[in-house]
Amino acid sequence: MSNRIRTTFSVQHFRHKLHELTMESVVLYTFTFVLVIFALLPLVYLINSAFKPLDEILRFPPRFFVRKPTMDNFSNLVVSLSSSTVPFLRYVFNSLVTTIATVAGTVLVCVLGAYGLVIHNPKGSGVIMQVVVAALMFSIYVTQIPNYMVVTGLGMYDSFAALVVPKIAVAYNFFLMERFTREIPNALIEAARIDGAGETHICFKVVMPLLKPAIATLIVLTFISSWNDSFSPLVFLVSQEKKTLPVALSTIAGGVGVSDLGRVGATMAASLITALPTIVVFTAMQSKVMQTMAHSGIK
Amino acid sequence: MRTRATKTQRRKALEGFMFVSPFVVGTLAFFLYPVIFSLYISFGEYTIVKEASTFEFLGWANYLNAFVEDTTFTTIFKTVVTDSLINTPLIVVFSLIIAIFLNKNFPGRGFFRTVYFLPFLLGTGYVMSILLGMDVGEEAMNMARGILLPEGVREYLGTTFTAMVETFLGRITYVFWRSGVPIILFLSGLQNINVSLYESAKVDGATEWEMLWKITLPMVSPIMLLVIVYVVIDSFSDTGNAMVTYFFEQAFRKQDFSYSAAISWIYFAFILLFVGLIFAVMKGFIHSEQSEPRRKKVRT
Repeated sequence: MSNRIRTTFSVQHFRHKLHELTMESVVLYTFTFVLVIFALLPLVYLINSAFKPLDEILRFPPRFFVRKPTMDNFSNLVVSLSSSTVPFLRYVFNSLVTTIATVAGTVLVCVLGAYGLVIHNPKGSGVIMQVVVAALMFSIYVTQIPNYMVVTGLGMYDSFAALVVPKIAVAYNFFLMERFTREIPNALIEAARIDGAGETHICFKVVMPLLKPAIATLIVLTFISSWNDSFSPLVFLVSQEKKTLPVALSTIAGGVGVSDLGRVGATMAASLITALPTIVVFTAMQSKVMQTMAHSGIK
Repeated sequence: MRTRATKTQRRKALEGFMFVSPFVVGTLAFFLYPVIFSLYISFGEYTIVKEASTFEFLGWANYLNAFVEDTTFTTIFKTVVTDSLINTPLIVVFSLIIAIFLNKNFPGRGFFRTVYFLPFLLGTGYVMSILLGMDVGEEAMNMARGILLPEGVREYLGTTFTAMVETFLGRITYVFWRSGVPIILFLSGLQNINVSLYESAKVDGATEWEMLWKITLPMVSPIMLLVIVYVVIDSFSDTGNAMVTYFFEQAFRKQDFSYSAAISWIYFAFILLFVGLIFAVMKGFIHSEQSEPRRKKVRT
């Protein structure tokens, strides 16, 4: 022990450093690995169940992994459930249309709004921002009932518009965009103006490319919330053929024939189909999201 | 000359307002008007019968009822508040640790990031409630517990301890499902920290631990406030939250719009107070960039 203390400072320091580093990384990796298993478990279970044949679904005690994978559940979903009033693919289509419309609308409105507010700084922009910040703290459920009345009043009840329009001007998204737009140096805009670029041109060709990471974040968040929204279609829609996947899922899972065990497999398959797009969108966007500001090269 | 300047100025302001107007209109229609309307109906009895609505002013009656007559409300309120108080710090600390880890440069970073976001992708959706409703989620969770805490160990430890560990694990699962967005927010904050700060500290002989406390935490504190607010509001307004379910029950099943509006306002007032408190407490800890000129980074 005394021997070790007597070794020169730098060597000891180096050893200490090395020791600390490896220990730290080992602990971190183990920790993360356990958590990764935790995170992956539901998905793995979902995938396995979606491919399970009926006898494996009904097995007790249930088996985690599938032995003989089949596509039966998916074909059941598309073929046999199609004989009921609304084909499954119709729900997929509905979800896609409303979600894409919501995402596109949100990005457009937020980018334009943030551009106008930050770059032009019109009168009353302070008030707008105050309302936005106040809105951040509001739970949307406080306003749900009057919201319903507004939607009905505007004649959007039982139409796709009811799923899209109320979700376009969301305070949180606007706030995010406004923060990022503030980071853009004014000199860049001035330079574009001197070069004779019009306002719309500056907004779409100069500002928008710089906002790419923020837009990616916005796309991910809006896509997920809109795709997974089971509340609005339930409240605003009556026609079964207009409903979206989350509602369809509950119909398949808990429809008339709840005791019908064949539905369990179909539900699993439908759940997997519902979960996949959000995973795909996030995976595709994640590197862009993470680049956030580091990428923009203006900080 | 002066008139021309104001003219361009006015034109600029008008143009700016044109750009903002879609958002303003949306906010007016789907936020401001509903908020005011819900506040209005909370002070009375609002009923809709066949498209025609009637309103009778009752003053604070609905608000009083919530505390005096309705025992369910106060009980749910208490549980929701305690739960949020326990979960919020856990989620914030957990997501910060994960974000710091994910911010390091190592192979498979993208994969890990996606995996950590998975619970959020699944958890917010209907998929997860389907899984939970069919007990498969529980099944999966039991298996997860089984992996971490084998049966033999369970029997050996006795029931009280096992139950404790299991509530703990349940808590972790919950925390995990709620950490997706906070991790992302923290990551974007961490990426904004200038690398040269760390480099100069390293040259001065600072350890990783010291750098964490002296550089990372102060620099990430503004984001920390955002995260705390996000987590608090998220946990208070989650659809699975007992309080939110109670609002729906009152409004859409019992058709008592006014009472539902009143209790949601009480709830909101509490959240506002809570967030205000957080702002006040955090104020002293936040490293503000405004004290130094903007976009001028410390270079050494």
